[in-house]
Amino acid sequence: MSEKNTAHIMFDKDGKPKSDRPWIFRTYAGHTNVWASNELYRSNLAKGQTGLSIALDLPTQCGYSSDHDIAKPEIGKVGVPINSLDDMAILFDNIPLDQMNTSMTINGTSMWLLSLYIALAEEQGVNIADLKGTTQNDLIKEYLARGTYIFPPEDSIRLIVDMYEYCLHNVPSWNASNICSYHLQEAGATPVQELAFALTTAITILDAVKERNCFNEEEFERCVGRISYFVNAGMRFVEEVCKMRAFCEMWDEITQERYGVKNPKFRRFRYGVQVNSLGLTEEQPENNAWRILIETLGVTLSRNARCRALQLPAWNEALSLPRPWDQQWSLRLQQIMAYETDLLEYPDLFDGSHVIESKVADLKEQAYSEINKIIDMGGGVEAVKTGYMKSALVASQGERMGKLVNGEQVVVGKNRWTDGIESPLVNDSDGGIFMVDADAAQKTIDALNKTRAARDETRAQAALKRLGEEAKQSKNLMEVSIECAKARVTTGEWSDTLREAFGEFRPPTGVEGQALSIESETLDAVRKKVDAFIEQHGYRPRMVVGKPGLDGHSNGAEMIAVAARHAGFDVIYFGIRLSAVDIVQSALEENVDVIGISLLSGSHNEITDQLFDELEKNGAKDSIPVILGGIIPTPDFDSLHAKGVKRIFTPKDFDLMSVMNDIMDVINTQKNG
Amino acid sequence: MPLSKHHSLIKELESIQAAMEAPLDAETRTLLEKAYALEKWPIAQLISIFERNNTDSLIKRHAISQYLAANADTYTRQATVIGLTGTPGAGKSSLTGELCLSLLKHQPDMSIAVLAIDPSSQESGGALLGDRTRMQLPVNDKRVFFRSQASHLDLGGMGKSTFHVMRLLRRLFDLVIIETVGIGQSEIEVQRLSDHTVLVMQPLAGDQVQFMKAGIMEVPNTFVINKCDEDELARKSKHLLNASLKLAKIHVRNEESQEQSIFMTSATKRRGIDELMTHLMAVREQQQVDQVAAQEEYFLNKWIQQAYGEFGLSLAEYFNKSSEDSGTFEQKELRYKSQIANFLTKLS
Repeated sequence: MSEKNTAHIMFDKDGKPKSDRPWIFRTYAGHTNVWASNELYRSNLAKGQTGLSIALDLPTQCGYSSDHDIAKPEIGKVGVPINSLDDMAILFDNIPLDQMNTSMTINGTSMWLLSLYIALAEEQGVNIADLKGTTQNDLIKEYLARGTYIFPPEDSIRLIVDMYEYCLHNVPSWNASNICSYHLQEAGATPVQELAFALTTAITILDAVKERNCFNEEEFERCVGRISYFVNAGMRFVEEVCKMRAFCEMWDEITQERYGVKNPKFRRFRYGVQVNSLGLTEEQPENNAWRILIETLGVTLSRNARCRALQLPAWNEALSLPRPWDQQWSLRLQQIMAYETDLLEYPDLFDGSHVIESKVADLKEQAYSEINKIIDMGGGVEAVKTGYMKSALVASQGERMGKLVNGEQVVVGKNRWTDGIESPLVNDSDGGIFMVDADAAQKTIDALNKTRAARDETRAQAALKRLGEEAKQSKNLMEVSIECAKARVTTGEWSDTLREAFGEFRPPTGVEGQALSIESETLDAVRKKVDAFIEQHGYRPRMVVGKPGLDGHSNGAEMIAVAARHAGFDVIYFGIRLSAVDIVQSALEENVDVIGISLLSGSHNEITDQLFDELEKNGAKDSIPVILGGIIPTPDFDSLHAKGVKRIFTPKDFDLMSVMNDIMDVINTQKNG
Repeated sequence: MPLSKHHSLIKELESIQAAMEAPLDAETRTLLEKAYALEKWPIAQLISIFERNNTDSLIKRHAISQYLAANADTYTRQATVIGLTGTPGAGKSSLTGELCLSLLKHQPDMSIAVLAIDPSSQESGGALLGDRTRMQLPVNDKRVFFRSQASHLDLGGMGKSTFHVMRLLRRLFDLVIIETVGIGQSEIEVQRLSDHTVLVMQPLAGDQVQFMKAGIMEVPNTFVINKCDEDELARKSKHLLNASLKLAKIHVRNEESQEQSIFMTSATKRRGIDELMTHLMAVREQQQVDQVAAQEEYFLNKWIQQAYGEFGLSLAEYFNKSSEDSGTFEQKELRYKSQIANFLTKLS
């Protein structure tokens, strides 16, 4: 090594060459019930995982206890159910809270989950100032993309600010919220939209904190320093490198210029990552392993913009929920990248690159102009209420789908090189997919009943009463929520009390006024069928589209609704979080020709049962055909067809017009016998 | 059109007229009974008959109308029709939803139908009907029925069949609320089929009055400024609207004073809804003039104009002098078609 060539070396304070410590390795995990998840966490920690990323089930995320009707099909499906402090104690059994960095993917009920975590620490005698971790708590992206919101925007922002205020004073290493652009990309956001919408969200929160005026200058700087991000990375990894660099620069500029933060430490853009699931394919799923690796590059290559924590999807996510082995395979990728390669030995690789600098500047310019536009419209909350951001995302998603169909965007195995040898990976004894044990849900409900029976009812009711009262005043709700936790109040009770106080919110769906640019022979064929239908029956085919259950991933349903209109249908779009009764009633009142439902949470078997029962009750089971879309494992097809589902569409069916063509055939068969 | 075609058209019209002689079939009669008992699917199926554009539906519409007229002792309901219109984004749907909830609470015996209209795509002709997501109406409650309808490229904020569906709903419910697509500078046609028209605006829209055609502001019986989430905003908006109406010398159609015709509401904060509800109930009580005949005449003329143009309208005036003016809408429609066809045959 020559004396002058040292620009590629990093030195420690003693002048010795050093390398960086790796990012935190996480695996998004949790399923079935608290016992099974506790076992999983402990084995993941033993495998070398360095932090916990808790996946909670949909009832917990949407504020329902497991014994609520709407909760039953979803218990333990996409995460672990938590009903009370007793569940929390089992979940973290033998896991030392003061040594953990715990990230919880929780939003609508994040104050409740944090209160449970703090209450558990206090009951165990752990100093709560030592707790480290993150509650996701980004409600704006829930309204836009993920759907587990409960309360109106203003009240949600108030809960978030309550948490920042409480944490800064009591749990200083806790990230009260986490600005997520992750779900925006899944919903179709372009890199510019990701930058703009995520930073607008952060500005919305910080403006609200400032408005409350609860911190002095030094505290406010620390509060800004607690803002962390959760970002997505896709296949265009060079652009992703630039996007991350743009994020870091813009955050530094915004915190300095808008909020006057002097300490550079508190202006640093801290972020965790889950790489893109949207681009993973159901076709030739083994290719996804490469995609995950490439997506990892975008967030690890730049030293100046490297992630703090990384969690990777599993190769088979487009097929169903991943098994422990699938998750282990993804964890191994991180370990190989961090420990076998020399990545962590070098200073920033891109400093001085004209290409990267120019691309970063370009992204920043466009993102700033979008941010200013939203701020001029009245800010983040206003842009949620008017549906501005949501419409922009639905439009981007529509454009993306169009490019997939016409081949402008190449996806190997999906629209190019589609023939191949079948993967041996999906032919395991269990079909390569994970199934939740049905009896495990009963154990959760039994535990809930036990907690209710054993608790001091007077204390629980008093805590709830206080919660309701303080919600209507402008008191910080953290303390009373911790008391609720200790009093063994349930997730459903805590949420219902605040629903009563704040009301529930339904954001604009963003689908109205959307146009698709798809023009194809299939479209012409479908429109001919629609015209013939109108000629024969004197009206346009009518379809109701909705999402039963608690799963809020609405992209698929939105695209089908927009596509149906494009084909010439009259579409009743009913949105998310519906019961089977809601959907059947809408189908009857609207006298539709077909019902379209979409499900991604793995609860399709239970929910189609409910739907057909309800249709049967109304004498309409054989009169209105039902079609189903979503993440539906192939082994379930036969039984779903036997129940009466006429067609099943999965991510493979990305050509929206051939989907519409199939639906038109279903309608015609029904009409003409 | 060659003469032979006119002859075949006349024949076709005659056969339809003959088909209209038949009484209402048993199946539809059962459907009607169930619909009057407020069963949802039968109501929906009947609405479809009143929406569809084909000969079968025309004949059925006639038979049902005639049957309802003949059995007025059994089918006694005669709804008040409220037309609810307003600027896009004024929160019409949420307001309608909250209004229904307030009615259900305070008027437990009242049956309500909501017909919500959304625009159709110019390009594909299809429509996305999204008003359902903005209302949180109770499920399995027979007292409230919700239906979406596409505007099918008609101007005026309604669809071609809105009038027909209204004719049916009037006889099945106590109250019908028709929510139009968002209007801008276009005509408010909903007044032609409603007994009372409500215009919903956003706060501070008062000074926008001057941007709207004076004609639009003359139409409503009641003004609602929705999204008044704060008191200050509500006061300011009311003042502005009042001042603008006075300045534009607009006389509110309502017999009451202008002051009493303006309401400030917030659908999200549930403010001012009960007051609006009470007002509309008072309107229903006071309603004396039967507007059905006038409404029918307007839509018959509209149909004639769309089918035959201005000349058709003058012919209609001429024909009317020589023929009696009775029967169902469908009979009048058909009578006119025959008259035109005969007239044209004579001409050639």
